[in-house]
Amino acid sequence: MDRRRIRVLLVEDEEIHRVVARAVLRAAGVEVEEAENGAEAVRRVRESGAGGGSGAYNLIFTDKQMPVMDGHEATRQIRAMGVATPIVAVSSDSLPPDVQAFITAGANDFTPKPLTKEKLGHILAKFGLA
Amino acid sequence: MAAAMQLNTLMSNMFATGLLDDQFQQLQMLQDPSAPDFVAEVVTLFCEDGERIIGELAKLLDKPAVDFDKVDAFVHQLKGSSASVGAQRVKNTCIQFREFCQGKSRDGCLKTLDAVRNDFYDLRSKFQTMLQLEQQVQASFYPKQ
Repeated sequence: MDRRRIRVLLVEDEEIHRVVARAVLRAAGVEVEEAENGAEAVRRVRESGAGGGSGAYNLIFTDKQMPVMDGHEATRQIRAMGVATPIVAVSSDSLPPDVQAFITAGANDFTPKPLTKEKLGHILAKFGLA
Repeated sequence: MAAAMQLNTLMSNMFATGLLDDQFQQLQMLQDPSAPDFVAEVVTLFCEDGERIIGELAKLLDKPAVDFDKVDAFVHQLKGSSASVGAQRVKNTCIQFREFCQGKSRDGCLKTLDAVRNDFYDLRSKFQTMLQLEQQVQASFYPKQ
């Protein structure tokens, strides 16, 4: 798959993490859209024509702690729309209970912050986007 | 030339003394002509975050009744920023800090706040020098006519 057609939604409230993750994603040739909290992420997924299928995004990265709506709730709501897009949690909280909470909410995978070229490579390969 | 050598020495020292880790090198590799100020942008964000968070931590730990959950949340945020910029020593001090938060030890938190403050200001000072030297190196390659 041409990476230039891969659309990723990055859900992150803190600017430093958005800046770094954006750079890693763009360096990999993916198209990045951003949401600063879970509610905005849910809105973007809904407006992207999601529902009953894979939606317009090929991959969603989400942080956990965010204002308005956190990553767990955003994941639950995106799944409740019937969106099957892979969701990967990216969080500094990486203890087993934190990971399990995301998986229970419907995430497909978890990676500790910060997102790096190597981690992104593994994730894209895992979901057939490499 | 002198600025370039000073910059190399500074960077080598920052890695050798554990101030920075591999993540900073990852950031340097992400900088290119399409994002020529990327490292400076991330460093600036880290310095702003760090200054703000350390101020909040000092206020919280000065209260008669310490809200350790709030303290932990701020330390968690600083740890995350540190990890993203490659600030290894600050990050490791934050890890210790969180242990004192979870143990609800005010004394432990205060001592570690001092340590994180010292580590942060040391790093910030070196980052400022780094950015100044980079500008001098750039100026020597592209002198104004």
